[in-house]
Amino acid sequence: MEIFRIENCKKSINGLNVLNDISFSVNEGEVLAIIGSSGSGKTTLLRIATFLDYMDSGEMWYLGKKIVSNVSNHSSYIGQKDLSIDSLKKNKELIKVKSEFGLVFQNFNLFPHWSVLKNVMDAPITVKKRNIDEVREKALTYLKYMGLENKAMNYPCELSGGQRQRVAIARALCLEPKIIYFDEPTSALDPELTSEVLKVIKNLAKEKRTMVIVTHEMNFARDVADRAIFLDDGIIAEEGDAYSLITNPKKERTKKFLQKFKE
Amino acid sequence: MIGIITKILSGAKASLLIFFLTLIFSLPLGLILSSFRMSKNKILNGITVFIISILRGTPLMLQLIVWFFGPYYIFGIKLNPSWRVTSIIIGFSINYAAYFAEIFRAGIESIPIGQFEAASVLGYTRFVAFVKIILPQMIKRVLPPVTNEIITLIKDTSLAFVVAYAEMFTMAKQVAAAETTIVPLFVAGLFYYVFNYIVAYVMERIEKSFSYYW
Ligand SMILES: Nc1ncnc2c1ncn2[C@@H]1O[C@H](COP(=O)(O)OP(=O)(O)O)[C@@H](O)[C@H]1O
Ligand SMILES: [Mg+2]
Repeated sequence: MEIFRIENCKKSINGLNVLNDISFSVNEGEVLAIIGSSGSGKTTLLRIATFLDYMDSGEMWYLGKKIVSNVSNHSSYIGQKDLSIDSLKKNKELIKVKSEFGLVFQNFNLFPHWSVLKNVMDAPITVKKRNIDEVREKALTYLKYMGLENKAMNYPCELSGGQRQRVAIARALCLEPKIIYFDEPTSALDPELTSEVLKVIKNLAKEKRTMVIVTHEMNFARDVADRAIFLDDGIIAEEGDAYSLITNPKKERTKKFLQKFKE
Repeated sequence: MIGIITKILSGAKASLLIFFLTLIFSLPLGLILSSFRMSKNKILNGITVFIISILRGTPLMLQLIVWFFGPYYIFGIKLNPSWRVTSIIIGFSINYAAYFAEIFRAGIESIPIGQFEAASVLGYTRFVAFVKIILPQMIKRVLPPVTNEIITLIKDTSLAFVVAYAEMFTMAKQVAAAETTIVPLFVAGLFYYVFNYIVAYVMERIEKSFSYYW
């Protein structure tokens, strides 16, 4: 089943063409890696997919439902009133769609005034009106999965970066999204903390979670992802099977980019 | 001596009334003003900037006079006796709301954008995200400057004398003049000091209660 699809996505920021005609889709159970040098538009793409930003033109679907259509060569969002970021944030139709996805940020963005457990539990209770006891049970299960069951009552400031990122992943999981986006989940971490986060994501991939992962960890992407996209200057320069793309790229640009990651 | 103290105490009561009512009204009003101040609506934003600049750019004493006499001189409304204290509370509340609004705005703007974005992706509506996620963090950040304002407010209550309101300092001066001694002024000073001390202590406790996270 197709979880996410984007077609002909274009986005410019301050007159700069950040994304130029991006199209791809993600099927259920699939792990897609997005690679590319800094400034190539990876974050912008995830921000558009998660409604933190809107695209200028192009179309988008979640679970087969059309969320963004092209009207006279301009993106039109469902339930949209005008094209301000403000109305994008107030759009009730879009807020409903938000429960289909989760996003894990580079710098975690946990809520510092809440305990680890509350960070994981609050959105399902407040946003989705789920039963507190059920949510607590589920939250504790996910924290255990993350190896953090004894940190439930701690505050984010008492945790290491790797632990914080695992809480952020548990927070995303607890809403049971159909797809989870990761934006360089280990880039803000010290090298020795990277592996504990990658291991968790690897386990999620084994369980056939649908994920889109922006990463600079090429070995990880090669081993975990089913497919990979190489983003360069706002276009998909190469895409295909993750293992082949990373070990044996076809295009010169891809080769040159991957060369930088070889010791 | 007892007479002096009871007189000053009645003034202290009047000062405390201004103090507490001003706090009760100006803090929420400041929050509303700060939201207008941060509004994307250019007209609302512009009007708010202008109003705040006037409130902060003119003496509070002048504002109190305008609030008290304005309705009579501008609109010819006959003032009833309760208008004196009402106008003082309005003048103080609106003036302090302007200061609080700027403090709150700075506090909200200092919260990392990632907090708003995480809340948005998790599906919180903007109102709920503000109340549950942004506001508590904002309060922690603004406590030190808000404490400064509150301490200033205690001393500012003496400005109510311009509309002949019998607050503590006015009473102390009256007694001092009648008894030809400056003792009442010292007693009043001591009251201000003790009250400030209590406020500082309470605010410190509140700050401590927020210190469990960074
Ligand atoms: N808010 C913004 N203001 C100005 N330029 C931006 C903004 N966001 C992104 N950009 C520009 O868009 C391009 C792509 O950015 P980004 O999506 O963050 O790339 P990546 O995540 O691949 O490093 C960059 O050139 C960046 O400078
Ligand atoms: Mg990025």
